Amino acid sequence: MASSHEEIEKLKRTYLIVFGALLVGTVLTVLVATVPALDIGRHGFDAADCVLGLAIASVKATLVAAVFMHLNHEKKAIYWLFGSSIIAVIFLAGLTALALGDPIFDSFFYSGR
Amino acid sequence: MEIPYIVTPRKDTGLCNSKIAIWLFLASEVMLFGGFFSAYVFLRLGADYPWPERTLPVLPGLINTFVLIGSSVTVVFAWAALKMRDWRKFQIYMGITVFCAVIFMVLKGIEYNVKLNHQAVRLKDYTVMEGHLSYEKDGGQYVLDHNGKKIEENLIFVEASKLTFSTVRFHGPWVDDLLAKAEHKNAKILLDADVSVVSEEGKPAEIIAKAGEVLSKDLLNRIRDSHLAARSHNGALRTASLREEWKEALAENPGKKGWELTSNVNIDAEAITPKLLTETPSVAFKVEPPVALSFKPRDIKEADGQSRLRDDTVVDGKLLASPMVFHNVDAIDFQHLAMKAVKKGVDPIVAIENSWLLQNSPFAKEAWEWHQGEVAKHEAQLIRDYGMDKDGKPKREPTLKERYRIGWKELAKKAEHDGRTKLSTSAALTEEFMGPNYKARGAETFPEFSLPREQIGFAAKFTPAWNTYYALYFTITGLHGLHVIGGALVLAYYMFFGRKMYLSNPEWLANRVEVGGLFWHFVDLVWIFVFPVLYLM
Repeated sequence: MASSHEEIEKLKRTYLIVFGALLVGTVLTVLVATVPALDIGRHGFDAADCVLGLAIASVKATLVAAVFMHLNHEKKAIYWLFGSSIIAVIFLAGLTALALGDPIFDSFFYSGR
Repeated sequence: MEIPYIVTPRKDTGLCNSKIAIWLFLASEVMLFGGFFSAYVFLRLGADYPWPERTLPVLPGLINTFVLIGSSVTVVFAWAALKMRDWRKFQIYMGITVFCAVIFMVLKGIEYNVKLNHQAVRLKDYTVMEGHLSYEKDGGQYVLDHNGKKIEENLIFVEASKLTFSTVRFHGPWVDDLLAKAEHKNAKILLDADVSVVSEEGKPAEIIAKAGEVLSKDLLNRIRDSHLAARSHNGALRTASLREEWKEALAENPGKKGWELTSNVNIDAEAITPKLLTETPSVAFKVEPPVALSFKPRDIKEADGQSRLRDDTVVDGKLLASPMVFHNVDAIDFQHLAMKAVKKGVDPIVAIENSWLLQNSPFAKEAWEWHQGEVAKHEAQLIRDYGMDKDGKPKREPTLKERYRIGWKELAKKAEHDGRTKLSTSAALTEEFMGPNYKARGAETFPEFSLPREQIGFAAKFTPAWNTYYALYFTITGLHGLHVIGGALVLAYYMFFGRKMYLSNPEWLANRVEVGGLFWHFVDLVWIFVFPVLYLM
């Protein structure tokens, strides 16, 4: 953890750079979702847009967690705590995939028509 | 008692206790919000209706994202100011952070307000109409309800001739409301027949309410009290009788199990009947002369002849025309109808052209024809821009939403194309936040429409009731909003009341601000996913 004035001033510069990166990431997310020329995959929203949108969001979230929340230089205990909660979420969210075979699912809106 | 490890780290973890605590809390929060996002994916993939894709206004969401990102920077700057022992700067940065939270919540409030006042209705053929309802008027004046609020023109009218109240379930304010409505129409609600009850064992029946008495809550309460006393007395009689029967049965059949005797044990009805008091579960009133009474749709299960209110009051009478009147229709959506048509193997365009709305609304028909032309132009443009694939099919085609939904922006575009209206830039910008500007654009853009009750399949405001998308939208953003409020309160507390701690132990305050800041960053982190998922996908 930063303690000297020089280190804190350096950290503040990093925060501003991350702030800029987050703003750029946000604008980019909106542009790829709203400007037809930047639309990848099919016209309109599709899996490619979903992956791209979530990828940008994940990069932004990583920047916030690593720099603003100081996860880039934390103690092991914190990594274990936070990491295990993320793994639990991924595992539990993955379980919903088991329900995809349910008859309530309708492929009409995902058929590319 | 001194709290340990508030400034110096523990040897085993290398961390202050407060930091371990906040990370434990954040781990639980990850799983909480993770659960909601998981539910979103599940419900979206399993939706049996067209998912409202990219339906929220992007601009307020985008501004809120900037605001939260900005506040994340100011909160770490506030922490840095404390580390450098600069109280004034700490207050300034923390003040900006709290102000950002206020802006965020104000924008969210505007967004919610627009949704909660916007009406949607799904017709029986699955056409969806959206807009704003008009208000009931009487003699040119708005009719107000008992809270002094205007009443939307979305009422069920019954020409009531008789009202039968459940004596235990009647809802007092509704009784007052019915009396006021009847009085307004010069009608009276009078007891249909004498209420005669036996209220004491062995005594003759006595009249506790006479035919012709005017309906009042006091009268209903009097009958209810008599009913409850009789029910309690009769219940005790039946229980005592049953106990006696069991005693006798067990004495006559020693060694037998209870379950073997159940068929032999019955209440001696003949013996207790003379002792029973009169129960009055319901009481009927006649409306003289029969008049049209109005009810909110959620309060009544209407039917011609006999309708039932939520408090079990039965309303006898003819069901009258009870249209839902839109003051402004601002969207016509055929996506669901098209989906149903494809399922049945019917051409969606044919189904839409035969829909009730296009058959009965010249405006809708004209808008649909214009929209078809726009879709054709769009289709041609996509072919020009992206060409065809090797099978001769267009590489890009209009989406289902573009094909089958005429949104308010399309209706506004049509009106502008027809030369009817043109909004200023500032008014157009306001529309991005508040939705369509009915006053400026006029009834030619967003017309009135009276929808017959029998055509309504389901109606709701854009609330969690409308569909699972809005249920999740309000749950996730509402929960996130509560986090914003909670976080802002904690940070504001440090800003306003942290001076004493700063003077006595500045490092302790810096640690507290770091912990509060961690929570604030987490709030920002959640929004980073909420914004694209709910607003852009």
